[in-house]
Amino acid sequence: MTRTNLNRFGTLIAFVLLCIGFSIAAPTAFASPGNVFNLVQQMATLAIVATAATLVMTISEFDLSVGFSASLAAVICFVLFGQGYDVWLAVPAALLVGIVGGAANGVLVARFGIPSFVATLALGTILSGFAFGLSGGQSLFQSVPEAFKALGRGEILGIPVLGFWIVGVLGVAAFVLTQTEFGRRLKAIGGNAQAARLAGLPIVRDVIATFAIAGGLAALAGLLLASRLGSVQHTMGEPLLLPAYAAVFIGTTASPTGAPTVAGTLLGVAITGVMVNGMTIVGVEPFVQRILTGVIILVAVLVRRVGRAK
Amino acid sequence: MLDLTGISRRFGATHALEDVNLALSEGEVLGLVGPNGAGKSTLIKIIAGADRPDAGEIRIDGRAVHFASAHDAYAAGIRVIHQDAPLVPGFDTLENCYLGREYPRRFGRIDRKAMRAAIAEVAADIAPELDLDVPVMFLPQAERQFVRLLRAIADKGRLLILDEPTAALPAEDAERFYEVLRRTRERGTSIILVSHRLEEIAEFCSSAVVLRDGRIVARFGAGEVKPEAMIAAMGGSASERSTRATDTSAPLIIEIDGVTGGDLTRPAQLAVHAGEVMALYGLAGSGRSSLLNAIWGAIPWAGSMRLTGEVYRPKSPRDAIARGVSCVPADRHRSGLFLVEDLIFNKTLPLLSTYRRMRGLPVPDRTAERAEFLVAAERVSLSYRDPKQLARTLSGGNQQKLIFSRWANRHSRVMLLDEPTEGVDVMAKSTIKDIIRAIAADGNAVLVSTSDRDEALELGDRIAVFRQGGIVRIFSRAEASAEALSAAAQSRGAA
Repeated sequence: MTRTNLNRFGTLIAFVLLCIGFSIAAPTAFASPGNVFNLVQQMATLAIVATAATLVMTISEFDLSVGFSASLAAVICFVLFGQGYDVWLAVPAALLVGIVGGAANGVLVARFGIPSFVATLALGTILSGFAFGLSGGQSLFQSVPEAFKALGRGEILGIPVLGFWIVGVLGVAAFVLTQTEFGRRLKAIGGNAQAARLAGLPIVRDVIATFAIAGGLAALAGLLLASRLGSVQHTMGEPLLLPAYAAVFIGTTASPTGAPTVAGTLLGVAITGVMVNGMTIVGVEPFVQRILTGVIILVAVLVRRVGRAK
Repeated sequence: MLDLTGISRRFGATHALEDVNLALSEGEVLGLVGPNGAGKSTLIKIIAGADRPDAGEIRIDGRAVHFASAHDAYAAGIRVIHQDAPLVPGFDTLENCYLGREYPRRFGRIDRKAMRAAIAEVAADIAPELDLDVPVMFLPQAERQFVRLLRAIADKGRLLILDEPTAALPAEDAERFYEVLRRTRERGTSIILVSHRLEEIAEFCSSAVVLRDGRIVARFGAGEVKPEAMIAAMGGSASERSTRATDTSAPLIIEIDGVTGGDLTRPAQLAVHAGEVMALYGLAGSGRSSLLNAIWGAIPWAGSMRLTGEVYRPKSPRDAIARGVSCVPADRHRSGLFLVEDLIFNKTLPLLSTYRRMRGLPVPDRTAERAEFLVAAERVSLSYRDPKQLARTLSGGNQQKLIFSRWANRHSRVMLLDEPTEGVDVMAKSTIKDIIRAIAADGNAVLVSTSDRDEALELGDRIAVFRQGGIVRIFSRAEASAEALSAAAQSRGAA
């Protein structure tokens, strides 16, 4: 195997080895259909948030508000349920809040030139304040309509519904990024914003659109998580942020130029998902799990750097 | 002092250098010229210890040396000065000169007096006008070059290798730079000068070698260093001046009336005919680039413009493109290229929506993109391996042609070019000039902004000279001369 191939497929090979390793260590528990079903369900929300992060990283920006948007969307949805509103109103309203929040990020970044790291952290904090206030700091689990539960629970033809969400959302995102004019423009903006502007690209519009889509995806992930769990806390989305970016970074090690891709991100999500799931099954202490997950991220990126330096 | 014998270096099947012999004596100034890819940078790297030859010997003062790293070469007194070598913007000259060196200390604290004592004497000798205590970010471009020179020689530098030291400087500043370099030479420092500006080599160097395909193909001793001879050795022909007169009966394509914006602070008045090349000549910051940027819609501007008689008010480059204006911006790495994307990506981006298979569906047709790329690449004589190779793998000249290729499949009514031949070798330069003339000959208006006086003379059917934020005079072909342009560009006082 040549060095380039090792670079490109090294991450994929690592994933396969990881799966084989856990299958040998825990043949009945890890490789069982039940656990795979479980894994897919666990990965879904992270995969969607990581896709949002992938889009934003394609334009070389960061969105630190994704976790907060996810929480707020879920809180709003459940508050509306509590007031007796229908799913068909509550879900779109919650998604809209995510999109508007994302667009606000985009405006701060593209129009006012605030570094995205700062803008999205500030706006995300504001969103989390709303989520706290609306929920009153309480867990919400009242009167969840059946139609809403169906979004993230159950299965179709033996495949978890959340699996279809992964395929649908990531499939569309991958198509948009690789095949459309919009995707091409995002890569240009991420590659060289100044050159993109001088080449006549509508940068402000595209940056706002990207953040808005990311906000919408984060909200969707929050709703799916709420649907699966059946309850909502105002901080529930926050733990998604770091794993989402970890997944994107692991994913970049699988792309030839080091640019984020949806396929790479999915691989990153799968690796972190399998790590946590497998280690739990094998009985690794949670604190060791965290340490090992961090080490895996560093190793992936280091291997890539060393491979490319030659 | 420096003696190279039989230096060879291979990369796979290509000979980057083959049997290169070169000798340099104390205080000698050697010009090193050759087209891009001739092996100049490999040779520099070997002399500077950044690369090792496969065969051959390097001697310094008669003793064979083996540089294991750039550090060893540095210890031997060899200094490479890149035109964009980083300086710390917030540090003054003294502090920049001590970057990477041990600071003199006194009672455990950095001893500024000792730093000054070490630097000031050399500074007074070569660049007395340089203020040592001003952060370099407040110094003009030319003086930052002085700082780089000073840093190189202050710490026992004996051989300076200068790579395109004046590429970013307008002619007048280049002259000041060479004045400083001359005084450096008088201190006994040896110099190897690499430049695409052959006139500068001829004027400044006592000897020169021409490198082509990794071999030295010509050597010129004292009194023999002439631009024509060097171009011939590189395999090109000397360029000719434009002799065409403006056809004033041709329709006006673009009319600029009282436009201000950016560095252009005094209202500009200019009209360009179909088929005409208008050169915009002046120092950096004189307003010539700002005028192009205003026409391109890239900066806010005031005044009025007309394009083929109709009102033209571009608010963004997008508006400009829609009206048939095209642009090759200055500084291709910062403002033009997507270095880690492929050639097709770089070519089709500005007009991407013209490659749709279905009108309403914003999905580019890759077959159509590829086909148009091949046609455009042919038209601008781009040399490349594969349309999917990354833009960063092209040489400077080809990168510039790649940006030209963006507009090659359409009829541009106005073509805006900002420093189109900056950092491009002689061969590519002449191709690019041919392309520019061909665009004009197609009946388009071409505006070329340049800090290179000879290029302005060579390309311009008329030449608008900019100074201090406005046009001071528009020369016709017949009135223009090198002296007249320089005088107009830098005379002070009367504005």
